[in-house]
Amino acid sequence: MKKHILLVDDEAEILEVLKQVLTLEGYEVTAANSADAARKVMQSAALDLMITDLQLEDSDGLQLVEELKKVKPETPVILLTGVFFDPNVIEKTLSKKISGYMSKTAPLKDLLGEVRRHIGA
Amino acid sequence: MKDKTIRRVLFFFLLISAVLVAVAVRAVVNINRSMASSDWVNHTHSVILELEGLRADLVFGDGALHTFVLTGDARDQAAIRAALNSVSDHVDIAKALTRGEPAQNAEVAELETLVDKQGAFMRDVLAAKQGGNADALRALLAADAGRAAIQEINQKIKKLKDEEMALLTERDTASYLQAQTTRWTVWSGVVLDVLLLGGVAWLIRDDIAARQKAAIALQAANEQLEQRVKERTAELVAANAKLSSENLERRWANQAMEHQLRYNNLIINSITDLVFVITKPLNISRINPAVSRQTGFDLSEIVDLPLKKVVRLTATGGDAMFDPVARALNDGRDLQDQPALLVDKRDRTIPVRFNLFPLRDRDKIVGGVVILQLSPTPRA
Repeated sequence: MKKHILLVDDEAEILEVLKQVLTLEGYEVTAANSADAARKVMQSAALDLMITDLQLEDSDGLQLVEELKKVKPETPVILLTGVFFDPNVIEKTLSKKISGYMSKTAPLKDLLGEVRRHIGA
Repeated sequence: MKDKTIRRVLFFFLLISAVLVAVAVRAVVNINRSMASSDWVNHTHSVILELEGLRADLVFGDGALHTFVLTGDARDQAAIRAALNSVSDHVDIAKALTRGEPAQNAEVAELETLVDKQGAFMRDVLAAKQGGNADALRALLAADAGRAAIQEINQKIKKLKDEEMALLTERDTASYLQAQTTRWTVWSGVVLDVLLLGGVAWLIRDDIAARQKAAIALQAANEQLEQRVKERTAELVAANAKLSSENLERRWANQAMEHQLRYNNLIINSITDLVFVITKPLNISRINPAVSRQTGFDLSEIVDLPLKKVVRLTATGGDAMFDPVARALNDGRDLQDQPALLVDKRDRTIPVRFNLFPLRDRDKIVGGVVILQLSPTPRA
């Protein structure tokens, strides 16, 4: 059975590219372009992983993580961060809330490696 | 191959049919001949039967004649006449039967003469007896001593019978030979047809074997083609997946670059300090929005202007004021917190703090970034 990934980002290009990449890798991907859309998926579907942008137009990615932990506490989360964020700071401040983080400028293979590390191929 | 085999098979069947027709014709002809031979046998037996009847009636009549001579009984006389009539009938039938055989017919004619002569003798004896002429009767009987006439008739009949039997034997032999020929023809036809059918069977078997071989070869070719199509499809799928993957990599790299660029611009454009990017000859190549806001220059007006047109280091004074900037840029050194004046579009000056950071591209200085911090000092 395919692993289900919830992908949350308000940038259409990132959402589309990541969805295609993860689908090609054999995952079932649900893409949400807003926090509201992501909440609906969180409530209704079983999830193996959530990948979310830190900054969303209608919410904060961290708030979304909090909500997910209430509903599905075992689901790992990978946070996508922009260039504003210092990885060291994220490591120190958010490591208890999230399972991993990736910069949007990191190579795609690194992101895939991070996904495999959490839920396997 | 198919048409050739069909033509051959048709040819063989035509040949078989021809042989069958030939055998049938030959058999019919021989059957007709056998039937004719059978007719001849019957005919021969009829002739012999008539001759035997003639002889018996003649002997009976002769016996009755001698009895009548002794007894004079009228019944014997009637018997003589009946025998003579019967003899005459036998002769007529024998003549009719031998009409198609000239030699035999001539023999019957001679026999008829002898029979007529004997009949005349018997009638003469009857007449002499009835007339009571004993001398004439004695003379007639004496002349017939030893029954020479009847002996002669018997010999003639025997000869005729022998000839008929010889003919019968000859026709039996011919009939036997015809039967043998018929058997030979039928068996030859059967053997030939069996051989031809064997040939047809061999042709059909050969054709079926060739078709099976062709079908196997076709199946193998199809399987090979199918395998090639599968391999090619797999290659295309792999190539397509690779292309898709590379395309996605490119798109991701582009978005990453665009993201980084956008956010860098956002950072630069958000800060309130005045930022100038300058080339190595100290011309302005880029500014942030704070510069436009502070000086009133549009980007298009200020780009490519010498930096000294809008910024002057106050500490150096005079024409040599940019020398420290040029030197610092050449040396790759920072200049930090230097007092300077910003000249706006209306030539008004604004006191600022001057900072220069050389831009390096792989250890090569390609330009510099000048950051001006607005001084709390009021405008001059």
